[in-house]
Amino acid sequence: MDLPLTALKNGETGVITSTDLSLEEEQMCRHRAKKRWRKHLMTERCAKRLSDLGLTPGTKVTVVKSAPFHGPLEVTVRGSRLAIGRGMAGRILVDVER
Amino acid sequence: MSQNHFRIALAGNANVGKSVIFNQLTGLHQHIGNWPGKTVEKAEGTLHFKGYTIDFIDLPGIYSLSTFSMEELVSREYIATEKPNLVINVVDASVLERNLFFTLQLLELESPLLVALNQIDMATKKGIVIDVEKAEKILGVPVVPTVAVSGKGVYRMLETAIEVIEKKRKTEPLKPRYGKEIEERIEDLTILLGKVELKYPARWVAIKLLEEDSEVEKEVRALSPEIVAAAERMRGELEQLHGHSCPTVVTCERYHVASMISEQIQTITEPLKTPLREKLHTATTHKIFGYPIMLATVLTVFIAIFSFGDFTSVLLGDTFFGLKPAFDSVLGTGIVGELVWGGVMEGIIGGVTIALPYILPFYFLLYIFEDSGYLSRIAFLMDNLMHKMGLHGKAFIPVMLSFGCNVPGCLGCRIMETPRERLLTAFVVTLVPCAATSVIILGLVGTYVGIGWALALYIINLIIIFVLGRIAFKALPGEPTELIMEMSDYRVPHIKTVAKQTWFRLREFIVMAFPLIIAGSFIIKVAEVANLLDPITNISSPVTVVWLGLPAVTGIALIFGVLRKELTLIMLATLFGTTNFALVMTPVQMVVFTLVVMLYIPCVATIGALVKEFGWKKALLITVSEILLALFVGGIAFRLLTII
Repeated sequence: MDLPLTALKNGETGVITSTDLSLEEEQMCRHRAKKRWRKHLMTERCAKRLSDLGLTPGTKVTVVKSAPFHGPLEVTVRGSRLAIGRGMAGRILVDVER
Repeated sequence: MSQNHFRIALAGNANVGKSVIFNQLTGLHQHIGNWPGKTVEKAEGTLHFKGYTIDFIDLPGIYSLSTFSMEELVSREYIATEKPNLVINVVDASVLERNLFFTLQLLELESPLLVALNQIDMATKKGIVIDVEKAEKILGVPVVPTVAVSGKGVYRMLETAIEVIEKKRKTEPLKPRYGKEIEERIEDLTILLGKVELKYPARWVAIKLLEEDSEVEKEVRALSPEIVAAAERMRGELEQLHGHSCPTVVTCERYHVASMISEQIQTITEPLKTPLREKLHTATTHKIFGYPIMLATVLTVFIAIFSFGDFTSVLLGDTFFGLKPAFDSVLGTGIVGELVWGGVMEGIIGGVTIALPYILPFYFLLYIFEDSGYLSRIAFLMDNLMHKMGLHGKAFIPVMLSFGCNVPGCLGCRIMETPRERLLTAFVVTLVPCAATSVIILGLVGTYVGIGWALALYIINLIIIFVLGRIAFKALPGEPTELIMEMSDYRVPHIKTVAKQTWFRLREFIVMAFPLIIAGSFIIKVAEVANLLDPITNISSPVTVVWLGLPAVTGIALIFGVLRKELTLIMLATLFGTTNFALVMTPVQMVVFTLVVMLYIPCVATIGALVKEFGWKKALLITVSEILLALFVGGIAFRLLTII
């Protein structure tokens, strides 16, 4: 079952299936590009940073907990501990067995 | 460069103990500056070792050699174009896989390499055992285990480094291989790239083209647009094949290699009981307990700094002013003496009584927190609140700094990833009431109007920060970046490194702020001696008296406040000839005055910091908008409070 990382319960582990932008977001990007905003969009760069930190498709990721008031998620991946903003985490799709 | 003179660069992820190694190697022979034209810090140092002179350069802590941040760009530019004799890749042995990902990129850049397997003690504690010989064999470069904090292995690392540079030791660096589909395309591109002149290795450029690296693409396009077109086509093909974007596919495969290597060279046995650092992590990021712990820690720090600062500041001030008679006897009490003492000496005294008692302990404790890993936990907890202003958790750190002094706050904005966020954070930061402003809030309003009003002012200030932060966030074009941050394990801070960082920061503050404070004092003193203060009072009175409802002399006090905000209070006392402000000002006037002081202008040292980080234009923009803001808020407050 493919779920966004934010949907995982504390302690649950999933395998990343995608960290790329969804179609909807691509449209949003294009819309913004029309507004002559900088072409180099942050979302794209964030996706790059996520993969640089080891969140690549096929990787196991465990949600440890999330900060209160819809704060960032604490995850462990490849033996390191990361904090990821909730918006970004919502774009990471994981396959989880339930 | 002579035969015994080498250059070695230290590269690696953040929080791997790179700076500690750098400090162990270079001691006090360090120079910290900026990369030309960039706000990225450049640390250089020299070591004399066995008749060799080695220049070390500590590259910023990064996770990749792409273009995500200025730090990454600067690092790869340095390695590729300056060609150091050797790159020492400092690796955190306890997070091997992710660190190897970076090692692989250094190998791709074909720089002569040595791997320092640092924090090997930490790895052992985590139940990780690493086969060093096997690691050397696989990577094809020397691997030296080190424990930077105790200096263990650093000597051997140096010896090995020299052996490698002098080619007494054979290395056969690994060439990381990708999957068949990617590898074929890399080879095709490499052949195409062989025909043009490049400053980077061709294979690396080929890989970067597949990774959609904008900088590399730009350079190659200038030489041969056909190659870029070919790369674009190949990317499309790979995306078809793998179902992910091409940069992701490349990263993914590189991680796969890193993962394979780390599996081969390390064995992990999970420790049986939860170690203390894990418990500490759980407690300090706990959804309920995390906040009181944070609040208690921050408050303790501030109370400690303020009590230490007050005491030392008075002590230093008294000592300096005790010198005045001696001074007068040399220069006389004439105009020269007055200008030198009042203009120059008082400026120096003012600077010293801030820098040593407040800034020094402030930086020291800050670096202790940073080094131990607690700051990243605070960022984790505060992320959501900062998001409301379009910033993320990391921005809380410069904001927190600013409660002590706005100067480190402004300089601390560097930790933000994009220029947009740096500016936004700086704007917010300059509105935070610093220690000096707190003196006025508490000393004037707190003492003569009531502590409740003082508290109300703080709350109003926070609301203003919040509202303006939001407006600025909406007004500045661009997208907010989200928090993506490593929370590395808690560890005992390395005091020597912390002390050195504190010293460099303090020096930076002195170099920047002192000339400004002294020049400012001098100008005002000249104005005073030339009897210009009365005309200034008259000129400013439409604003101070009519619009803000304040006594006319406050105009001068506010001008003095540009130097250092607490001077407003001192000047006010001098001008009124009394320290009992209740006799000369109404409560409303005190509140309005304090409100204006709180917002009206970043002090001259802060403006200096802004100019240094953002240039004249933006510094001026922030300054002017804050003056207008202060007048606006002050005028409204005056009218509202009079009605009440």
